[in-house]
Amino acid sequence: MSELLPLAIVLPIVASAAAVIVGRVREESGWYLALIGTAVQVVLAIGIATQVFGDGRITHHLAGFPPPQGIQLVADGLSAAVLSVVAVVGFVVLGYTRGSETHRTAFYAGYLLLVGGLAGVTLTGDLFNMYVFLEITGLAAYALVASANTGRSALAGLRYLIIGTIGASLFLLGVGYAFVATGTLNMMDLSAELAAAGYRSRLVLASFALIVTGLAIKIALFPVHTWQPEAYASAPDSVSTLISALVSTAAAYAIARILYSVYTVEFFTAVPTAQDLLVYAAALSVLAGSVLAVLQSEIKRMLAYSSVSQFGLVVAAFALANQTAFLGGTIHLVGHAVMKGGLFAAAGVIAIRTGARTVDEYADLAAEAPIATGTFAVLGLALVGVPPAVGFVGKWYIALGAVAEGVWIIAAVILLSTLLTLAYFARVIERMYFGMDVPGETAAVADGGRPTISPKLAIAVAAVVAVIVMGLGATWFASLLEPTMEFLFGL
Amino acid sequence: MSADRRLRPYVESNVIMTVVRILSPFVLTYGLFVMFHGAESAGGGFQGGAIVAAMVIMLAFAYGMEPTRQWLSNRLIVLLMGGGVLTFAGVGLGAMVLGGDFLEYLEYGSVTASKYGIELVELSIGGIVSAALTGLFFAIVHGFEFKRGEEE
Amino acid sequence: MIDLILTRYHYIAAILLLAIGLYMLIAIKNLVAKVIGLNIFQTGIFLFFITTGMVTGGAPPLLGPHAEGPFVSPLPHVLILTAIVVGVSLTAVALTLIVRIYAEYGSLREDIIREVRANE
Repeated sequence: MSELLPLAIVLPIVASAAAVIVGRVREESGWYLALIGTAVQVVLAIGIATQVFGDGRITHHLAGFPPPQGIQLVADGLSAAVLSVVAVVGFVVLGYTRGSETHRTAFYAGYLLLVGGLAGVTLTGDLFNMYVFLEITGLAAYALVASANTGRSALAGLRYLIIGTIGASLFLLGVGYAFVATGTLNMMDLSAELAAAGYRSRLVLASFALIVTGLAIKIALFPVHTWQPEAYASAPDSVSTLISALVSTAAAYAIARILYSVYTVEFFTAVPTAQDLLVYAAALSVLAGSVLAVLQSEIKRMLAYSSVSQFGLVVAAFALANQTAFLGGTIHLVGHAVMKGGLFAAAGVIAIRTGARTVDEYADLAAEAPIATGTFAVLGLALVGVPPAVGFVGKWYIALGAVAEGVWIIAAVILLSTLLTLAYFARVIERMYFGMDVPGETAAVADGGRPTISPKLAIAVAAVVAVIVMGLGATWFASLLEPTMEFLFGL
Repeated sequence: MSADRRLRPYVESNVIMTVVRILSPFVLTYGLFVMFHGAESAGGGFQGGAIVAAMVIMLAFAYGMEPTRQWLSNRLIVLLMGGGVLTFAGVGLGAMVLGGDFLEYLEYGSVTASKYGIELVELSIGGIVSAALTGLFFAIVHGFEFKRGEEE
Repeated sequence: MIDLILTRYHYIAAILLLAIGLYMLIAIKNLVAKVIGLNIFQTGIFLFFITTGMVTGGAPPLLGPHAEGPFVSPLPHVLILTAIVVGVSLTAVALTLIVRIYAEYGSLREDIIREVRANE
C-alpha cells in the first residue's frame, strides 16, 4: 500500500487549493476545510506508521519511473515518526486558531500548504525534491509569520525570508556539487556513488559543507539563528506554536536523513574532521542558545533561543554517528516538537488571559491563571530534563551515546545546558508562583473568575499529557526504531 | 515626500497604448504556444504562464489598473489558480485510482494518452503560474496605492 | 591562470554573481535592492548548475527525426526551471511583505525603519 505516500503529500496541497476556491464563495469555510484536510492527514500518517513499523521500509516511485531516473518517495521509521508528529501537531493546533484571531481563508490555505510541504520533506527520497519541499515549507512559513498584520511581523517575516532563502540556496549549491560528482540525485543511489567518487575528494567535501550549512540556517543553529527570535516573537501565537514545533523539526530531520542515507556513517569514518566540526559547532549552539535565553526578557524570545539550544543538541546527537545517540536524537526531536509547541500554546493562553508577555509581567500569575501557568511550568521542567518526561529520555540517550563514542565534551555540554535551561525556566517559574506583583502593572484582560478550560488551554494540557506518555513509552519506541537504525547504520 | 503619498502609477501615452494594442494578441498566442509545447520540445507550463502574465502586466501599463482589474476579476484569477492545482492533482490521483503510481501516465492507456496527460499537466501549470503572477501583481499595486496608515 | 580563465569562465561568472548578490544583500540599505540581490545570488547558483550539463559540440536535448550525437544533458535544465519558479514565488512573497512594511513605516530603507521602530 505504498499509495499512502503520495496521498500524504498531495492531499493537503489539494485541500489548500480547495480552501482558496471555496473561500471565494463562502468566507468562513477556511477553518473547516483545514480541519478536514489535517484530519485526513492524521489518518494517513497513522496508516503509514503502522505499515512501516510492521513491515519495514516503503518506497513509491512517482510516475512509475524506477530510480535513479525517477523520483522516489521513501518512508522508514525516522520519517514515519516525524510525519506523525507533523500530522498530529498540524491537526491539534487548528483547534488553537479557531475563533480568536479572525483569519481569512488565505491563512488556512497557507496552513495546509505548510503541512503538505512538511509531509513532502519527510517522505521524499530524492535530494532535489527535498530542496523543493523545503522551499514550499519555507514559503508557507514566511507568509504565516507575517500574517499578524503588524509591521513588526512583516519585518520579521522578511528577515526570515531572506535568511531562509540564503540557506536554501546554499543547500541547492551543495546538491549541485553532489550532482556534478555523481550524476544522480536519488538518495540511495547517491550513497553508493559518493562512496565511489571518494569521500575525501574536494567536490564531495564541499557539497557536504554547503548542504550542512544551508540546513543549519534552516534549523537556526548558532550563529545563523538570527531570524528565529523575532520570527517566533512577532508571529501570532498559533503560528508560533505551529512553526516552532514543526519547521525546524523538519529541517533537523533533513539533516539526519542526508547524514545517514546520503553520506552514510562511512563518510564520518573517512573524514573525522567533518564529524568533529559538526559536533563542536552543534555544542557551541547548545551553550550559546542557553546563555542567550537567560538574557531575554520577552517570553517568546526566550523560548526561541531555547529552541536554538535544543536543536544544537539534536544535531550533535545525529553527528555522533552512534546508534544510542541516533535514538536519543530522534526521541529528543519528536519530544521537543511537542514540548516547544505546548510551551508556546501555554504562553499564548497566558497572554490572552492576563496580557503578560515578558518575564517581569509573569509575576504572581499562578493565582490568576492556575492551569495555564501549571502547564507552562510542567513543560518547562520537561524541557530541562526531569524524568519521566521525554526531555529526560532524549538527553539521557544522547549523553550515553556521547560517552560511548568517547566524546566527553558532549556529555559536559549536556550537563551545562541542563543547568542553564533550569536557570531560565526556574526564573520564570519562580516569578509565576512566588513573585510579587508589581503594582499597577496588571493588564485588564479577562475575568478573574473560576478557571475555565478553553480549547487553547486544552491543547497545552494535552501537550503535557503527551510529553509524559512519550517519556514512559520511549523504550517501546526504541524497539520500533531498531530495524530502521540497523538499515541506516549498515549502509 | 510627506504630504501627498498617493502614487499615480498610470501615465497615459498614445505610443504605449497603440503598441500594446497591436502586440498583446500575439504575445498571448505565443504564451499559449509555449504552454502547449511542453511535452515534446522546448517550452512548458511555467514559461508560457510567465509570458501570459507579462501580457497582462503590459496591458496594465498601457491602459491603467482599473480597466485591467475590471477585465480580469478576482474570481477568474482564483478559479484559474485553484482549478490548475486540482487538475494537476486530478491527473496524478486518477493514475493512482487506475492502479498505478502517482502521475503514472501510462496507466491511462497508450503512449498517446501519456502525451496528452503531460500536455494537460503543463496547461494546468500554465494556468496556475499566470494566475498567480497576475494576482500578485494586482495585490502589490493595490497595496501600493494607499497612503501610510490608511491601509484598508 | 589564463588557462583557467579561458576554459572555466562559467565558474568565474557564477562566483561573481554569487558575490555581487551577497554584497547587495549586506551592503545596500534599500529593502527592494536586497531582494534584487537575493535574486542575483540565486541566479549565480542557477548559472553554475546549468553550465555543468554542457557537452562541447553537443546537440540540443530534443528527440526528433534528425537528432543524433551526444546531447546536452537536459536534467540540469529541468531542475533549474523548478528552482526558478521557487525563486519567483519567493520574490513575490518578499515584495508583498515589503509593501506591507512600506505601508506601516513609510520608508524602504532599513536604517530609517530601525529608527522609526526604536522611536515607537
